Amino acid sequence: MNEAILELKKQIIEVLNLEDICPEDIDENAPLFGGGLGLDSIDALELIVLMEKNYGIKLQDPAEGKAVFKSVSVMADYIEKKRTK
Amino acid sequence: MKITCSINITPNKVVVNGKELNYTERGEKLLTAIYRRQINDYPKFFKMDSLCRLGFVASELLLNGEPDRFKPREDRAVVFFNSSSSLCNDENYQKTIQDKNNYFPSPAIFVYTLPNIVTGEIAIRNKYYGETSFYVLDRLDIESMEQIINDTFQDLTTKSVLGGWLDCKDKDHFEAHLFLIKDEETSSLTNWDKIIINKIIYNKQ
Amino acid sequence: MGHTMIVKIADNIISPLGFTTERNYQAVKAGESSIQLHERHWGIPEPFMASLFKDGEIDNEFDKLRSTCKYTDFEKAIILSIDKALQQTAINPSSDRVQFILSTTKGNIYLLDNKNEGFSKERALLGVSAQYISDFFHNPNRPIVISNACISGVCAQITAMRCLQSNRCDAAIVVGCDIQSRFIVSGFQSFKALSPDQCKPFDVKRRGLNLGEAAATIIYGRKNRTDVDNNEWLVCRGAIRNDANHISGPSKTGEGSFRALRTIIQEKDIPQIAFINSHGTSTLYNDEMESIAISRAGLQSIPVNSLKGYYGHTMGAAGILESILSMQAVDDKNILATRGYETCGVSHPLILSNQNRPTDKQAFIKLLSGFGGCNAALLFKRGGLL
Repeated sequence: MNEAILELKKQIIEVLNLEDICPEDIDENAPLFGGGLGLDSIDALELIVLMEKNYGIKLQDPAEGKAVFKSVSVMADYIEKKRTK
Repeated sequence: MKITCSINITPNKVVVNGKELNYTERGEKLLTAIYRRQINDYPKFFKMDSLCRLGFVASELLLNGEPDRFKPREDRAVVFFNSSSSLCNDENYQKTIQDKNNYFPSPAIFVYTLPNIVTGEIAIRNKYYGETSFYVLDRLDIESMEQIINDTFQDLTTKSVLGGWLDCKDKDHFEAHLFLIKDEETSSLTNWDKIIINKIIYNKQ
Repeated sequence: MGHTMIVKIADNIISPLGFTTERNYQAVKAGESSIQLHERHWGIPEPFMASLFKDGEIDNEFDKLRSTCKYTDFEKAIILSIDKALQQTAINPSSDRVQFILSTTKGNIYLLDNKNEGFSKERALLGVSAQYISDFFHNPNRPIVISNACISGVCAQITAMRCLQSNRCDAAIVVGCDIQSRFIVSGFQSFKALSPDQCKPFDVKRRGLNLGEAAATIIYGRKNRTDVDNNEWLVCRGAIRNDANHISGPSKTGEGSFRALRTIIQEKDIPQIAFINSHGTSTLYNDEMESIAISRAGLQSIPVNSLKGYYGHTMGAAGILESILSMQAVDDKNILATRGYETCGVSHPLILSNQNRPTDKQAFIKLLSGFGGCNAALLFKRGGLL
């Protein structure tokens, strides 16, 4: 698992309180939402906060988030391109 | 009205229908231990704030073994009382906005800055479409609790109430005194009245 | 209904639009709104639309009461509202037959901030704050606080009805209030729930809610059916129901809202109802959910309105403030306009308008929803319908 993806997975697990999940349990190419992690609308809003807090990326609304949070890989790519921190 | 089940949880003790359960964990860890032993298949537990975790595990112990447990119903009200409201978690939320240079308001924490959210969590878990209410008093006043819960039955749809005191001062200091109260004639059950409630809460059974 | 009726004795609204019910009703009827853009307010980076009291507005009015004790803005607004309502009655608030019932979501929460005006953090406890308020009036009963998210204002009225029906009190002073703060605004911003401009309930272009602050009081009493006057207001049936779906997102089937409506309405009531005063917060999800619930309940041919376009969402005050204005409207043979509405943007068409509409019907429904999946509905009728 590459370093950035591992780091992102750990952050997601932490901010979303996924207590019984390890980075190995998350398939970085599988859909984050609508998949087995049971994430909901509040989780999507928390990921928006994560993007700004950890990477300085400001997403405007849940609609914009939908495309970015498609999977961990898509998120990681987006962060790579847009991060300011 | 009759009490069909009662539960008391404090940081050091778990009592169901007057019998103490065997737990060595204390404080916040006690709640997690109850979750692990009693439920362990509801990961949402770990997103909940302390007040919700307390109410959630207490209600799980109270409802354990009830026939047709998860059948959707509108005839059960969830009515809680406390004196701290959601202050325990409000302090957590305040931390996310306190510092202007580190200002990141958290929606996952903000959603729990209302005390009634715990009634919603219980309604979701058990498919209760009935009344859910939350009252704040300046202290644990048994007479007020008794009267308001009795009044809840004025809604003729309501045939039972999952209710009582649910207070959380911080993650390691809390108390839950919950009851399942039913509108039943069965004389062998305990009466829902302030003398009996007092005995159960202060463990003088 | 049996022989005991729950009647409104008096009411008051304290808001940025005025300090009397009459002034508030006239302002709303004329289409006024106190919602404005606030920039860099309370150190919040993002600007927000809200209806807020002007600095010193509450203080100046409260000073007239010549109190020697210190109170927070939240408490002052409540005391003022109760005082003005009481002045319309012969009720002695220090009687043990009078019960105070307070509806609020966050009370004195801004005291958690460092700038806490010299009050201890203990004052942020709702029961403590309520006790200070009830002590102002020398009332000996423990005040009851309802903190049930945004439906608190209707819940408080239901609690009052039940208390009066049980004969534990002869008058119930029901007051709702929330004061806005960094705490509350930042939280709703984190939910991306706020509109950058004027809110537009049920409109196709709606983008979220505006926040507001107010205090509103209704004093309820009990009367025999035979003693009720034609123009007296009765609160008839109330119900609270849960969606059992999600703690913050509204139910796609409008479950709790539908069940609450279904519980309070009988077939014979429907032709009497002038309008449903909805929650109508102008979020994408809430307004859609309400249209589904109203439709499921078979009430889609009853006019609907929302008052959020005048005051924003006043949270703990909303259920009481909006009930009072609705009573005033029916007395005035009027259905108040839904300010901000232009084109229907919900999947179940409702009879909405941005103009005042005439009516000669004498009943209405107050509908609300809140975080925690809770919903509440309250049926009001004028005595003439008995």
